[in-house]
Amino acid sequence: MNAKLQSLLARALIVILMGVTLLPFLSMFSAALAPSGTYPYGLQWPSDPQWINFVKAFEVANMGQLLLSSTLIVVGVVPVSVLVSTMAGYGLAKLTSDKYKWLYLIFVAGLTLPFEAVITPLYYEVRALGLLNTRFAIILPLIGLYMPFSVYWMRAHFLNVPKDLTEAAQLDGATRWGEFWRVQVPLARPAIMSLSILLFLWTWNQFLLPVVLVRDPMQRTMAGALGAFQGQWGTDVPLLCAGSLMILAPTIILFLLFQRQFVAALMQGAVKG
Amino acid sequence: MAGLELKDIRKSYGNVEVIKGVDLSIAHGEFVVFVGPSGCGKSTLLRMIAGLEDITGGDIHIGDRLVNDVEPRDRGVAMVFQSYALYPHMTVYDNVGFALKLAKTDKQVRDKKIREVAQVLQMEELLDRKPAQLSGGQRQRVAIGRAIVREPEVFLFDEPLSNLDAALRVDMRMELSRLHADLGATMIYVTHDQVEAMTLADKIVVLDNGIVQQIGSPLELYNRPANLFVAGFIGSPKMNILPVDVLETAENTITIAGTTIEKTTLPCASASIQAGSGLTLGLRPQAFVADPEGVLKGKVELVERLGHETIIRIRLKDETTVTAALVGQSDLEPGDMASLGFKPEEAHLFNASGERI
Amino acid sequence: MQVTTHTGSNPDKRATRLPRSRGSRKTRLVAWAFIAPAAIAYAGFVLVPLLMSVYYSFLRWDGIGKARFNGLANYITVVTDPDLLQIIGNSFLLVLYFTVIPVGLGLAVASAIRSHMGGPFGTATRTILFLPQVIPLVAAGIAWSWMYASSGLVNQFLRTIGLDSWARGWLGDFTFALPAVGMIGAWVLLGLCIMLLVTGITKIDPSLYEAARLDGANAWDEFRYVTLPGLRQEIGVCVTVTIIQALAAFDIVYIATGGGPGINTTVPGLEIYRLAFAHRQVGLASALAIVLMILVLISIAPVQWLTREKK
Repeated sequence: MNAKLQSLLARALIVILMGVTLLPFLSMFSAALAPSGTYPYGLQWPSDPQWINFVKAFEVANMGQLLLSSTLIVVGVVPVSVLVSTMAGYGLAKLTSDKYKWLYLIFVAGLTLPFEAVITPLYYEVRALGLLNTRFAIILPLIGLYMPFSVYWMRAHFLNVPKDLTEAAQLDGATRWGEFWRVQVPLARPAIMSLSILLFLWTWNQFLLPVVLVRDPMQRTMAGALGAFQGQWGTDVPLLCAGSLMILAPTIILFLLFQRQFVAALMQGAVKG
Repeated sequence: MAGLELKDIRKSYGNVEVIKGVDLSIAHGEFVVFVGPSGCGKSTLLRMIAGLEDITGGDIHIGDRLVNDVEPRDRGVAMVFQSYALYPHMTVYDNVGFALKLAKTDKQVRDKKIREVAQVLQMEELLDRKPAQLSGGQRQRVAIGRAIVREPEVFLFDEPLSNLDAALRVDMRMELSRLHADLGATMIYVTHDQVEAMTLADKIVVLDNGIVQQIGSPLELYNRPANLFVAGFIGSPKMNILPVDVLETAENTITIAGTTIEKTTLPCASASIQAGSGLTLGLRPQAFVADPEGVLKGKVELVERLGHETIIRIRLKDETTVTAALVGQSDLEPGDMASLGFKPEEAHLFNASGERI
Repeated sequence: MQVTTHTGSNPDKRATRLPRSRGSRKTRLVAWAFIAPAAIAYAGFVLVPLLMSVYYSFLRWDGIGKARFNGLANYITVVTDPDLLQIIGNSFLLVLYFTVIPVGLGLAVASAIRSHMGGPFGTATRTILFLPQVIPLVAAGIAWSWMYASSGLVNQFLRTIGLDSWARGWLGDFTFALPAVGMIGAWVLLGLCIMLLVTGITKIDPSLYEAARLDGANAWDEFRYVTLPGLRQEIGVCVTVTIIQALAAFDIVYIATGGGPGINTTVPGLEIYRLAFAHRQVGLASALAIVLMILVLISIAPVQWLTREKK
């Protein structure tokens, strides 16, 4: 009886919080349908919904080009980061003794590093490499910046793989490289999936690097482009809201499709500590 | 055609020496069991033969080849792990065939071999399953199949039955014996279970503390344990150990007595023994007979009636206890006074440093 | 005699074979081959820039001309300049919103529900509460800028319930801009914390609550002596993640307020960006960056220490 009431209260609380979570999106949506250039109210169904705003925003924001740019960056960052960190995770967990713990500690030392702490030298480094204002200015640093988490993540996975499997593979005639690809990587699929999802999100949503290192919004990530979009159309609320929602749409659609995997990845990802 | 030769094998982790110079030769086709308490170094020794642990000193020959620096995969050995170590993402078929695949064996040959092995182990219907869908016994079979399919010169088993329940363990034990007879390969088997050791082995190697205590056939170990450790380790219930003093020696006999045992004369190669010295007398529970004139007397504490024998524990006057397994059914009850004798030829004598006399 | 020569030669033989080729050298080489690519990427784009940051922090440099060694002057500026101190203070004020609100609400929800959220309701909850985690922080910033705008939803709501006088341009208000930014962070992090804590509480053995009740515990005692200790790790995770987000905030502030009004919502991340790329004070920016990094470490170290798994 008491427990039931408590559970009901909890559910009511959750429903309220869900409402609070959704309101900004709804408010943006309603504003996006107001006539372009007007100043609508926070939440109000427009008498004459201007769906055309979305078309206009699509053109103004150059969505096609933006999607391409973000996709290129993700394709440049995620597979390489995952591969390289999976190898390192395996190497640190399975091929080195405690004597090499320091190496691992150096990697995890970067776990809490705010990107802002290295953004200034990164700018000069990228400039020296001649990569400023190219997508590589985002891709290469991100791979490095993801290493602490990715290596930590994959090592934690490999630590839980029984040593016996490695030894069985060795006796079955596998080289280290063969064992890695045929035994360890297939077994690590769930960990690799989660890591890929997280890295995809972090890359897609990366803002600081594009803002500092790439001037042209068309060479940026989605988040970086959104920043530029706001700078340009900040005063036209309906257009800004329509554009923002469109820029958000790809991630939200992916998220809704793979909701379970995303949630699992984000929760585990947070537990990195 | 491969026997095995270990010469002065040593293993240290830092300053701790865990294998202290093991010499052992194993003939082709022999079934050898390493047995000993946990931490005695038996698994380490097996893993050194497999190449999974580096050796700190000594030589290992498999067949005629010195394999000290040979990778595990090139040693011609296969191993069955305690955990089975099946690849969880592969079907049974792929698990068994993995080594062949790595060796780039022709696909048809591979398929034929896998199916042959599956037939031998009666697991043809399991080939499409993943390890997670198998019972413990089935996994065990797959693990053995994975070893057989490679036709290794030497099979290594690391406590392969310890994760099975008792009934299954007996079945698999018999199956392993049959397999050994069929394949005629050299097998080395590690266990802490003396029953497995006794039933499977041609030759048992008893290890303790990184040192070989005794090497011999099961019955040799049982009948003539080389020292107190082996005496206590082999046989169930455990051998009873009693301190005694030598009263007098004669040619091939000595006369002894202790605080708990009355004067008695035993056959013994007495040349090196002096009257007045202290010895240890070992008596297996099965050596005892109920005998009103017996040399051991005490109060019955515990009676276990097994039908074909009766196990009793009696407390002697110095508060130590002795366990006896009397043939048949006894009418002793707890609290009774019991008097036990023993067959002199079944007595084991050990000197002060624990070595057999 | 024979015995002595035998034992004499034996250790010698072993000693000469001790540096074994297999295992040690080759294994090490293989290990390095696996680790090297990650190590190179990490060194090239994290360790080297970090060292350069440290180096820059001792310079007086506009990023173009000649740099001059400046000693500890930049650090002294960071810890004495009232503006910079206020900026650092702002980020700690943000912690109050980013951390306390999500963790507090999360604990409330978790201890009230105390069971697994299954079924369609659970899925809906998970999906919706996680939305802010999936979208870029920039989008959160834009959405809330609109929410806080003078005709936005917040003011609309206040007017609806008759609090017209409370309505204002929140993000331009000297008093309320920082709390308003803080609430954006709370909104973003709320779902994550709730889900982590709800998941955590389902792992607490329910019989502990029954035992506590039999021992005469009231609701508060249950919370204090069962829930809190049981959730120690999850709370640690939430607090750590949210503190880092607060101290290293950049995206939200950049979009929502640009640091204004005045420097009321400026945070170190934004100030580093401004100093380095607008004011061309690379040395001072780097010193602030190093201080920020250290502040993050100092802030989460006690959390980690208090909530780590006791072995």
